[in-house]
Amino acid sequence: MMNRRNFNKILLGTTALSFAACNGMTSLSFPADKKRVVIVGGGFGGATAAKYLKKFSPQTEVVLIEQNKEYYTCPFSNTVIAGINDIDFIKHDYKTLESKYKVIVLHEKVKKVDGATNSVILESGKIIPYTKAIVAPGIDFKYEKGYEKGSELLAPHAYKAGTQTELLRKQLENMKDGGTFVMVAPANPFRCPPGPYERISLVAYYLKNHKPNSKIVILDQKNKFSKQGLFQEGWEKLYPDMIEWRSAEFGGKVFSVDPKTKVVTTEDGEVKADVLNYIPEQKAGTLAFDSGLTKGDWCPVNTKTFESKLVKDVYVIGDASIATKMPKSGFSANSQGKIAALQISRVLANQAIINPPKLANTCYSLLSPTYGISVAAVYEAHEDKIISVKGAGGLSPLHAEDSFRMQEAEYAVGWYKNQMSDIFM
Amino acid sequence: MKKIALLLVFLYSLTYAAEYDPIRGQMLSLSCASCHGTDGKSEAITPYIAGMGKASLYQILLDYKNGKRVETMMQKHSKGFTDEELEQIAYYFSNVER
Repeated sequence: MMNRRNFNKILLGTTALSFAACNGMTSLSFPADKKRVVIVGGGFGGATAAKYLKKFSPQTEVVLIEQNKEYYTCPFSNTVIAGINDIDFIKHDYKTLESKYKVIVLHEKVKKVDGATNSVILESGKIIPYTKAIVAPGIDFKYEKGYEKGSELLAPHAYKAGTQTELLRKQLENMKDGGTFVMVAPANPFRCPPGPYERISLVAYYLKNHKPNSKIVILDQKNKFSKQGLFQEGWEKLYPDMIEWRSAEFGGKVFSVDPKTKVVTTEDGEVKADVLNYIPEQKAGTLAFDSGLTKGDWCPVNTKTFESKLVKDVYVIGDASIATKMPKSGFSANSQGKIAALQISRVLANQAIINPPKLANTCYSLLSPTYGISVAAVYEAHEDKIISVKGAGGLSPLHAEDSFRMQEAEYAVGWYKNQMSDIFM
Repeated sequence: MKKIALLLVFLYSLTYAAEYDPIRGQMLSLSCASCHGTDGKSEAITPYIAGMGKASLYQILLDYKNGKRVETMMQKHSKGFTDEELEQIAYYFSNVER
């Protein structure tokens, strides 16, 4: 549905605007005297960029296009699956971006970003021209090995938060004591590298307290994972004998899956799940492909600005971009959103970009509500690559005191609260 | 001669204060906001750093960087910046109204 009120705002906010009939489509004429940045995708990257662009460049018209009115964060969605938090805990909206920061928010579906005409084409046929566009489409899944579109209703991936989070929660609640929770964890690269393992931890937390005879099996498509030593140390301590991790090399490799019967076929035979959490392999969100922004599965960008290497005036941030060594995380997307907004605001003002920009990442994971671990890094963008600053960052220590883990669990919540307000408030 | 040069560098570093570069100060402060809130105005357990004194914030960041002050997280971030960059960050937050 076109949000008429906001579309009119664009009309009112700019001078001499008119719709021009163009091949049967309605185009929003573009004001020569005013700059417009259109941001597509209202997640960690896109919503951050919208707020910060208005902070850096209040006179620039900023249009944020996001199809959903509410946004459910993947960070902390594992606490919802485990019944620690309610779904409303991870629900956010765009009202403050509109009222406080004067971002024009359109809840619309975008067909493509057309670099040839510098315009965003909506599914409705309407066209919004831009000076610069930021594309933050997040991820999409590869449907293969018997996991098809629709399979997520039987074997949820719960790797885009919202109804999927609630479905996995419900399946876990309905699982019998003594049942088997099976997760298929994806190969690299994928969104939130420690995410699957935090989920395993918190599912174990729930099962230990409510269904203690149950088992967890992880069928991993890789041979090692993020914060592995810390997770395994924590699992040993908190959930002994409950979690079995099978690396790709030793029985984890999946050949096929039947979401109906919840049977996964591996090299070592069949694994039958009572609850099957299948996290498919990933690629950039569909919009990136439809807009010609991809090379392989992801979007190559200029590392100092996040401008696409393939389409001029279009910037790609967040999970969809190739920003190695930065992981695909919400924090990274937030950091990239700010830097892209800053660089765009400077380009629009005919100023030199900041060189080199610095970025950061911090990922907290909860193994229980009182047991947190983290990894952090500071990054500097150089010619064609983002380097991790030597000597900085790192993991939480192994064998730390309980108080240390408790404190990190508290800081995890602190991060989430401030991160949400940094993006949406 | 070398010793005198080193001594001079040392003495200079005691008195030297970087000139505030608001553009870089702002850029460098951006990642702090993820945990400490926009412009350091925390609404959670993470410390509120907006409007802190420039000298004390700079010293705290240096102490984290040099291992004199140990926490769960801050040393990992402060080690990612030069002293001059940490000073710019301190300038930035000290200029934010509390």
